[in-house]
Amino acid sequence: MALTSTSVSKAEKSYIQAGILANPPSRSDGRSLHDFRAIALETGVAPLANGSARLNIGRNPHDGTGGTEVLAAVKLEVENVEEGTGGVDGGRIICNVSCDVKDSSPSAYPNLSSGALDDLQHDYTDVINQTLSHPSLHPSNLGILPRKKSWLLSLDIVILADAGNVYDALFMAARAALWDTKVPRTRSIEYKAKKSVTTAKNASGGAGDMDVDEDTSSGFDTRKIAGAIDFELPDYWDEGEVLEGRDRWPVCVSMNMVLPTHFLDASPQEEASTSIRVLLMFSFLSPNQTTLQGMRMSGPGEIKLSGLKELIEEGEKYAKEIYSALTSKLKDEDIRRNQKARDRFVNRI
Amino acid sequence: MISFTSFPQPQDAYKRPEIEEDEDMEVDEDFMENGTLKLAWPGESLTSSHAYMRGHGTYVDNEEVIASVAGIVERVNKLITVRPVRTRYNPEVGDLVIGRITEVQARRWKVEANSRQDAVLMLSSVNLPGGVQRRKLESDELQMRTFFEEGDLLVAEVQAFFGDGTMSLHTRSLSYGKLRNGQLVTVPPNLIRRLKSHFISLPCGVDLILGLNGYIWISKHVKESDREGEEGFDAEGVYSNKNDAIDDSTRTAISQVANIISVLASHAVPLNDTVLLEAYEWSVEQEGGPKALLQDDVGDALVVTVASRS
Repeated sequence: MALTSTSVSKAEKSYIQAGILANPPSRSDGRSLHDFRAIALETGVAPLANGSARLNIGRNPHDGTGGTEVLAAVKLEVENVEEGTGGVDGGRIICNVSCDVKDSSPSAYPNLSSGALDDLQHDYTDVINQTLSHPSLHPSNLGILPRKKSWLLSLDIVILADAGNVYDALFMAARAALWDTKVPRTRSIEYKAKKSVTTAKNASGGAGDMDVDEDTSSGFDTRKIAGAIDFELPDYWDEGEVLEGRDRWPVCVSMNMVLPTHFLDASPQEEASTSIRVLLMFSFLSPNQTTLQGMRMSGPGEIKLSGLKELIEEGEKYAKEIYSALTSKLKDEDIRRNQKARDRFVNRI
Repeated sequence: MISFTSFPQPQDAYKRPEIEEDEDMEVDEDFMENGTLKLAWPGESLTSSHAYMRGHGTYVDNEEVIASVAGIVERVNKLITVRPVRTRYNPEVGDLVIGRITEVQARRWKVEANSRQDAVLMLSSVNLPGGVQRRKLESDELQMRTFFEEGDLLVAEVQAFFGDGTMSLHTRSLSYGKLRNGQLVTVPPNLIRRLKSHFISLPCGVDLILGLNGYIWISKHVKESDREGEEGFDAEGVYSNKNDAIDDSTRTAISQVANIISVLASHAVPLNDTVLLEAYEWSVEQEGGPKALLQDDVGDALVVTVASRS
């Protein structure tokens, strides 16, 4: 994984390391080792996306400058499930992380060459994509018509600014955007050829009669109809249903190692002063049922295998905190947006 | 510990400033005559180019003076300038700056100092080991990285300008040179005014160097008598990368001062020694240590106190 552009002098590096190893440990902004900076989160920021979120770690509370800022959005597209089209029965998920939007400023890494930027984006994309498109997390409601059509879920994340701890920010933003995603309700339709009339109709030049499936108008559970060949979007009061199993989307903990200890939510200077970083991705089926979805190590340093087990246990503890804080914030956001929608409805005149 | 907040919500009833259709624009003889404060945004047409001259931050297009930056419009007689709200550092000879080495080149270092172009530090403008007045040798050129290497922070003075406006620095004084024993904070350069001394010692055992380019070095206090190079010139000491032993209370004080500076900077309070001292004295009376200053309400209270005392 490529290092970003922050450079620190040897004196700064040893100052930061000595501070972390001191007893009691001290960090440059006075946080304790396992404190996060304040995280600002908002969902539903992109009106044309099926789900979106904006997240900022370490924003200045007064003037709103600084901090790692990430924008995530989910777009659903209909895809044919046929040989050679790339579609998969039951839907698929593709994630992409970019660090600069073409022709736009500001970009997160103005000092990097385009080659280095590509490498960096590739690194971020790889980690996100491999973790989130894993079959164990796949939501069951991405299919439309079995063996015919399914949803392609594209998750795009843009890093607008990097002030450290990008991976945690990426995963939190991804979780928020996927949480926010609404899958449009679909209703399958089929052609009903009326046998007795067909020949006569064909003779007179008419095609098969297209007929909407009237008896399945509930809008639910109509996807598995065997004869269905196409679908339509019923007019319904909301944007659709949420992704199945949206609680499972993982959170990431970046543990920055200054042996023998570690700390969380590093600033760029702190990141440049640590030789090894361990990323742990945890998914929570319920608060007590945790699975380790992924793990990465970066940096030139090394840690012993025996220490790793302990590290994962510690990481699980932090992940649980992140998970519960993030989930309650996401629920708050849902309530806030419902309230806003209601207010707008009341004040629509 | 982790906590989530919200982004500030934009107000729904956004009030658009009413733009007056000024028919006298072309012959606007008394533009800003009454001394009102005017803010301009980039691309905003200010006045006619027949009656006024364009200054910094403006350009002329279609016979109109147009702002090229966001900032405050200023007028001196017939000259219109726009002073930008946020800007890079504009160097002047004699300024004290803090910079970071980005590149080691032949007989010179490139230094990043928050200016539009990287500054240059010539090998002939630094104190070499073995005596202040020593001539530079070829061997010095070969071991430039033993003095400064990439990433190193240094405090220097602006010596001169090259033809293209690049500033040339020098560290030929015992108070200049490599920085260690502390941490760097950056603020907008317009918050640092030219002071009698940019080296500040706070009574809490913390030394500050306010670079005019907005870089501030906060470090452990070093006694006058203990400064390197007082007797003879000790290259080991001056170009050392090793920090001294720093005790916990000094570390806390350094973090405290760093957080105070970022709070003051976010409230656009110009920094000087009295403001910093007031702020420090107020903040040590508060509970919670340096971390508490990261909360917005504590920061606001700090700024209110400082404003009322000074």
